[in-house]
Amino acid sequence: MKRSFLSLILILLSGLRTTVVAQKYFTDSGETIFYSKVPLHNFSGTSNNLTGLINLEDNTVDFYVDLKSLDTGNGKRDKDMRKTLKVDKFQYGEFFGKLVSPFDTTSTDVQPAKVAGIFKIHGKEKEIEVEGTLQKTPEGIQLIAGWMLNLSDYEIKPPKLLMIKVQDVQEITIDALLTPYTEDQ
Amino acid sequence: MIRISFVGLLCILCMSADAFAQLQRKPAVLDEPVEVFLAQSLITTGTAQNLGRGNINSTIMHNFDLVSTGYQEFWGLDAGANVRLGIDVGLTDNLSVGIGRTSSEDNVDLRFKYTVLNQMASGKIPVQLAIKGDVGINTQEQPNFDFSTAERLNYFGGLLVARRFNERFSAQIAPMISHFNMVVVDDATRSDLVNTHLANGFGAEYRLNDRHSFSFEYIAVLGDRSDDTFNPMALSWQIDTGGHVFQIFVMNGNWFTEQHLIARTTDDFFAGDFRIGFNVNRVFGLKK
Repeated sequence: MKRSFLSLILILLSGLRTTVVAQKYFTDSGETIFYSKVPLHNFSGTSNNLTGLINLEDNTVDFYVDLKSLDTGNGKRDKDMRKTLKVDKFQYGEFFGKLVSPFDTTSTDVQPAKVAGIFKIHGKEKEIEVEGTLQKTPEGIQLIAGWMLNLSDYEIKPPKLLMIKVQDVQEITIDALLTPYTEDQ
Repeated sequence: MIRISFVGLLCILCMSADAFAQLQRKPAVLDEPVEVFLAQSLITTGTAQNLGRGNINSTIMHNFDLVSTGYQEFWGLDAGANVRLGIDVGLTDNLSVGIGRTSSEDNVDLRFKYTVLNQMASGKIPVQLAIKGDVGINTQEQPNFDFSTAERLNYFGGLLVARRFNERFSAQIAPMISHFNMVVVDDATRSDLVNTHLANGFGAEYRLNDRHSFSFEYIAVLGDRSDDTFNPMALSWQIDTGGHVFQIFVMNGNWFTEQHLIARTTDDFFAGDFRIGFNVNRVFGLKK
């Protein structure tokens, strides 16, 4: 009798957890790109290792990227970038905050989205707001967002390219398909 | 008993749910080529490290007279420097070509380096393997001789096998061959002169931190060699400023091209006959 009761509780709890997990969406293969400018020359760096979780239960949004995975297409420039960002010491660029705009999970329309929270890079952090879009898809949630990052806000000394300093403002974009979160992730 | 187990189970389930609040940071699994050495040259000999497509490396290499000349010659610095000015260009990630001119004998050399294998971060490929070739020509005017173009040529070939063992230490071994079409000395009666030398190069680099490192190179000549020649050896302190790699070193050779180092090093490092030198390496990334 006691064993049956315990089994029943476990089954109920399992069902409850499944419901909870279904409110969470996860990716570890999102794309993030930064765009840098110097006069007469632009370059960008891309990572396809953006990892993130959107929890629609409490609206928390948690994203990070291993900065070592950023690839500018030039080995020397990658090396310089990693030194500039001190990635051996501060390996991740990370955001943790809340979804502050409503999101209707029953709609498949592209919906404007806004998150507010802390972005941290180079060992420094700053409160930011990021705007983008969310769209429910058969696979999960498609997220597209972007913001302008000032290197000086994070005490990052702009590197030089051919003696000319890279502009302080960097455009950051992210594009990720988040799928329902499962326990083994 | 059951109550304890139930409460424990509930706690575990709740804890695991809470643990999802912030993701645990995990490093990305990257499998990219390892930067085996800081520069394309250890000190004077080439490393298996290549430039990468779209990069240009300009090098200024100097060395002076022997330190053993003492104060009167300001430990060799009063003497005119032997200088090699060079430029290498990365045509692809694995192929670079270069040209240089050495003030001794006005030797102009063309060289290439091709990376056959890149050491990968995953360990899937544990070593870096490159081949290097260099052809030089002595362009100095010789008032007393009339050398043909072919007689002025010198060659080098090497197989460079390197590995970065950890964050700090890299090493290289490099079977080499050097050939001079003609060997000229003041004493025409000498019969010990050798046109072709085989050698084995050894090198290592130890990084103290992001900016400073030490490196070492030694070339062991194998088999027949011209009399009164010694194995070249050099020890260097490297400073990587991000844009430049400066190398301050001592060496017993007087050249910066391997074929000359192998065949023409006439001072014995272990007898205290070495000279001070310094190199400046500047890499420009031109690829968009």
